[in-house]
Amino acid sequence: MTVARRFFTQEWSALAVAIAIGLATLSALSPAFLTEYNLYVVLRSFCVVLVVAFAQMLTLAVGQLNLAVGALGGLVAIAVGGMMEKLGLPTGVAVFVGLAIGVAGGVLNGLLTVRTGINGFIVTLATASVFTGINLGVTESIPFYNLPPDFVAFGVKRFFAVPYLLIPPVIAALLLALFLARTVPGRYLLAVGGNPHAAELSGIPRDRIVVLAHALSGLLSAVGAILAEAQLGSAQPTIGADWLVISFAAPIIGGAALTGGHVSVAATALAVVLVVLIQNGMVLAKVDPYWVQFLLGALILSAVGLNRFRAIRIERA
Amino acid sequence: MIASVDMGSSFRLKAWLAEQSNAIGLAGIVLLFWIVFASLAPGFISPFNLFAMSRTLAIDTVIGFSTMVVLATGGMNLAIGAIGVCSVMFAGYLMQVLSLPGPVALAGGLALGSLLGWINGFAIVRTGVNSFIITLASASLFNGGMLILTKAVIFNGLPPTIAEFGRMRWDVVSPLLLVALLIGSALIVLFRLTALGREILAAGANARAAELSGVPVGRAIVIAHTLSGLLAASAGLMLLSRLGAAMPSVGQDWLLPSFLAPVLGGALLSGGSVSVVGAMIGALLVTTIRSGLLILQVGNFWLQLFLGVMLLLAVLLDRYRAVYAERRSLGRRI
Repeated sequence: MTVARRFFTQEWSALAVAIAIGLATLSALSPAFLTEYNLYVVLRSFCVVLVVAFAQMLTLAVGQLNLAVGALGGLVAIAVGGMMEKLGLPTGVAVFVGLAIGVAGGVLNGLLTVRTGINGFIVTLATASVFTGINLGVTESIPFYNLPPDFVAFGVKRFFAVPYLLIPPVIAALLLALFLARTVPGRYLLAVGGNPHAAELSGIPRDRIVVLAHALSGLLSAVGAILAEAQLGSAQPTIGADWLVISFAAPIIGGAALTGGHVSVAATALAVVLVVLIQNGMVLAKVDPYWVQFLLGALILSAVGLNRFRAIRIERA
Repeated sequence: MIASVDMGSSFRLKAWLAEQSNAIGLAGIVLLFWIVFASLAPGFISPFNLFAMSRTLAIDTVIGFSTMVVLATGGMNLAIGAIGVCSVMFAGYLMQVLSLPGPVALAGGLALGSLLGWINGFAIVRTGVNSFIITLASASLFNGGMLILTKAVIFNGLPPTIAEFGRMRWDVVSPLLLVALLIGSALIVLFRLTALGREILAAGANARAAELSGVPVGRAIVIAHTLSGLLAASAGLMLLSRLGAAMPSVGQDWLLPSFLAPVLGGALLSGGSVSVVGAMIGALLVTTIRSGLLILQVGNFWLQLFLGVMLLLAVLLDRYRAVYAERRSLGRRI
């Protein structure tokens, strides 16, 4: 098999081609695109979205949904902000407790889903409302502005065009790829998503794996929230409010099956790159920002249509 | 002879009670909340608050219906808010910019809602992709399209009759509530008495079995989504008359109430079973709690928490009732 043919058998090849075309067009049309500062801006807006997409990808892997990704993120963001501003806790402690809250929220989602047998959609719709309710009830929609300078600096600092903020998402992506491809719980996770019944008959503790997926999803939502907080320089109660669509868009554009068992870290990451490039291109072209929402919807639909088309062709072949 | 007839009717009564147990239990909970709120805050049953509640209830009920008809097919529609706002802005545009008469503009809004719902249904049936993803994407598409076309500008120069209808009072109830009740009655007729309604339910209960029995499952799903779009547009236009202006922010907070009312009312997410009366009482519970907390000045901020906890408790309770009923019927069979 030639290199080219091997490339095109990868399911992310269409995405890679789209990104290459996008990069070429943007750099040809806009001289501002390839400036160091603009690349820094692009990479910076990439960070939070990537982690949020991974958070949803993990629940999709076991055939579940998590509507509470954004709500849990918002709760973690204000908890971390409150601990730093009101309680004066050191940054490390606040971040650690924030991550723990994320895991706890995820475990709650997972346990409720597994123990009651209620559809994960309804469970996470309800817990999302609960998390948002606590967030708004505690903060009354007032952000925490006085965050420690070292924390805020982390969100701004860069090495040439590479923001420091990019380090946690890249580590998360590598660990996640390793987890899903090489570890026993990771393989179990995909097995449960692929066929829960077969997985259970093969002796995989199905319920524990579903809870694990939700817990990791919660952890990643918390990481996303803390990154967003560093990026904004303040703990806004609205962090996470607009994560829902993009969290599903990236894994699905990346070819994840909604029925579970099939996800790809690389393709999800490429889908996020594509979305961020489109957003940046629109900013550079000074297009109405409302177009972003419209195009995101169109992108999801065309990705879904393309996957369907590919499946039909494979069936026929 | 007489005894057996008696036994028959009492059995029928029991069966009816068992079927309605969810609605009756829910009505009891609503009553309990009314007693608590009325005794804590006398303002709760003041004529003004009752009127305000009847308006909110009317809109929440229709929003709930809009999700309910799709739940009947075992699907969901996340685009309800987006369809609602598109219809509202379209009707506002027809009235203010093209200065068409009110009824024509409202009909235009309803037609657009149905069309957008039909697009959802068509895309779902044609691609065979989960309705969750299709409507998540189409919500983004519709909402984005609406914002691009309107530039998020409010239409507030509407004919005064629109706002007058929203303010109209029949003693303590708004005529909007009558609209909601009429829609509810039409849905009861649809699901109880018409072949189409039975087909939609059959498609939701077991799509394969329905297909094999000659039910056009694809058509039923498309019609259910079209109807859902029509109902979302109706809710939007009711809200339009309440607000007296076409606002691009309509529909953003519809997701939770749209699921609360039918799910509290006992609709199955897996499809095939819905309760119109249950959804109405579910909407009444949501409206009661929202208004009560507002009157008690707990604040809008904690409301989300209460609604979320309520949804969880309702589905938990329903789950245990189902398990209990299953055990009892198993015992009887043995």
